[in-house]
Amino acid sequence: MDTVLQDIVLGNSDEIVKKWINEVEKNSVHKYSLTISEELFDSTNREFVNVIFVSVQNQGSKDDLKDFAERIINFGWPLNYLTEGMQAFRRVTTNFIIERSETLDAERFKQVLESVDEWVDPIVNFLVSEYSGSWESTVSLQKVALQELSAPLIPVMDGITVMPLIGTIDTERAKLIMENLLEGAIKHNAEVVLIDITGVPVVDTMVAHHIIQAAEAVRLVGSTCILVGIRPEIAQTIVNLGIDLSKFPTKSSLRKGFQSALEITDRAVVNLKDKGNEMENMIDSLNKG
Amino acid sequence: MNNQSCIPIKKEWDIVGARQYGRDIAKNLGFGSVDQARIATAISELARNIYLYAQKGKICFDIVEGVNKKGIKIVAIDEGPGIEEISKVMEDGYTTSGGLGAGLPGIKRLMDDFDIISEVGKGTEITVVKWLR
Amino acid sequence: MMRIPILKLHNYLLISIQIDLDDQTAIQFQEDLLKKIHETGATGVVIDLTSVDIVDSYIAKVLGDVVSMSDLMGAKVVLTGIQPAVAITLIDLGIHLKDVPTSLDLEKGLIKLRQELEE
Ligand SMILES: Nc1ncnc2c1ncn2[C@@H]1O[C@H](COP(=O)(O)OP(=O)(O)OP(=O)(O)O)[C@@H](O)[C@H]1O
Ligand SMILES: [Mg+2]
Repeated sequence: MDTVLQDIVLGNSDEIVKKWINEVEKNSVHKYSLTISEELFDSTNREFVNVIFVSVQNQGSKDDLKDFAERIINFGWPLNYLTEGMQAFRRVTTNFIIERSETLDAERFKQVLESVDEWVDPIVNFLVSEYSGSWESTVSLQKVALQELSAPLIPVMDGITVMPLIGTIDTERAKLIMENLLEGAIKHNAEVVLIDITGVPVVDTMVAHHIIQAAEAVRLVGSTCILVGIRPEIAQTIVNLGIDLSKFPTKSSLRKGFQSALEITDRAVVNLKDKGNEMENMIDSLNKG
Repeated sequence: MNNQSCIPIKKEWDIVGARQYGRDIAKNLGFGSVDQARIATAISELARNIYLYAQKGKICFDIVEGVNKKGIKIVAIDEGPGIEEISKVMEDGYTTSGGLGAGLPGIKRLMDDFDIISEVGKGTEITVVKWLR
Repeated sequence: MMRIPILKLHNYLLISIQIDLDDQTAIQFQEDLLKKIHETGATGVVIDLTSVDIVDSYIAKVLGDVVSMSDLMGAKVVLTGIQPAVAITLIDLGIHLKDVPTSLDLEKGLIKLRQELEE
């Protein structure tokens, strides 16, 4: 670290800040894209440049920077607000030092660029990694949320359980679905499990393969598996795959599947209204008699 | 258990011993019950192949660490007859012993990484890894 | 090697496998069961696998064979209580036991046998 250069920059911080703010305001797309007030934009800019100076001054300590980055991320400011700000700082500082220099040869020029890079790069790296870190944790949170949502098992009645599959199925999810399905079938003592694939947007050969494996595993644990919600294009993929589904009952809709599930478990839906009529008829005949 | 440990396969009961040992390691590493069963089953297949085709050999266990991940590595080593056509034995249903021929292709599906080196007359070495998710 | 007990109940034979099966025990079990079917003239068999936590390709073959052989001798076999982890590893191995009837538990297995035998 060139302390002479550092002194030039720190000693003239007011001037550099002014130039920096000019530069950043020129590029004020963020002000509009974020729909925030003029004041907030100004105060954030000021805070940003302060944090940069603090970081240049005490090399290594990034507490203020971290604090600032966290708030920016929480507010949802875009990453390029930060990177553009740092680029502006690099430009302004380099120009400023060079304008001040009496001698300007290649050696000196190189020295200035290197020093400024030494200040700016660690800050940029730090900001970017903070940003992507928070992004990654958001993604992994969403992944967990998706997994939890991915395979609900609904025991609709004694011995009959429905598993609606929603969304894209990859290998990872397919494994999870299979485990949920089997453990659920046993937990709910389900003689029949209906897998509803109405909500699966694309059934490619891989997905079809996973679903069929799940159905086969369900049969092994001793339940009957009915695949429902089979759209025409899914029927096509399955046949094109050459997969023999004759052992698995399949139905086009959940309603039809439920009907077969009732038959398998020796039950039927009885219309209560008819029963009511019967009662009325009986009472009528009693009254007449 | 950072250094490798090996279990010799000489008699039929060693197959059961090896898979129980492997399952314990998998359990301690934090694998779920389904993956424990996958790992134990793969070991069982590897050990039985050694017992059936090479008469004796060993199964070695290792804990491996990758970038951001951890896993169990199992190496099955024998100095038996070796395998002539590896692509053939990796086909579902191929067997020279009246088995189901499910062993080797099955192991590949049960585990995450699969590697086989075999030389006729020299022996066979199969390495498999299951990563902890 | 261990012997797996085979219980007789009316026309049925009940087996609950409680140990980690090694090859020798599995083969011995196959022999014992066929002999028992012959002696008793049983028409149905339930093999409960609730406590079995590993079935590899060899054991799967023995079980599949037991089912076909019993069938030949006139006894229908139902496998019950296959654990999720076991079912998943079997599927990974590519073993589907296609012609083997299954049920969730012993009780449902017996009901299934009765239904099938009445038909
Ligand atoms: N360690 C080995 N040394 C020599 N040959 C082997 C070895 N392992 C497997 N093989 C050969 O590969 C073939 C396929 O093995 P695989 O385990 O897939 O099926 P299998 O053992 O025949 O039947 P299954 O494992 O389903 O009971 C074997 O039949 C055997 O010829
Ligand atoms: Mg084998």
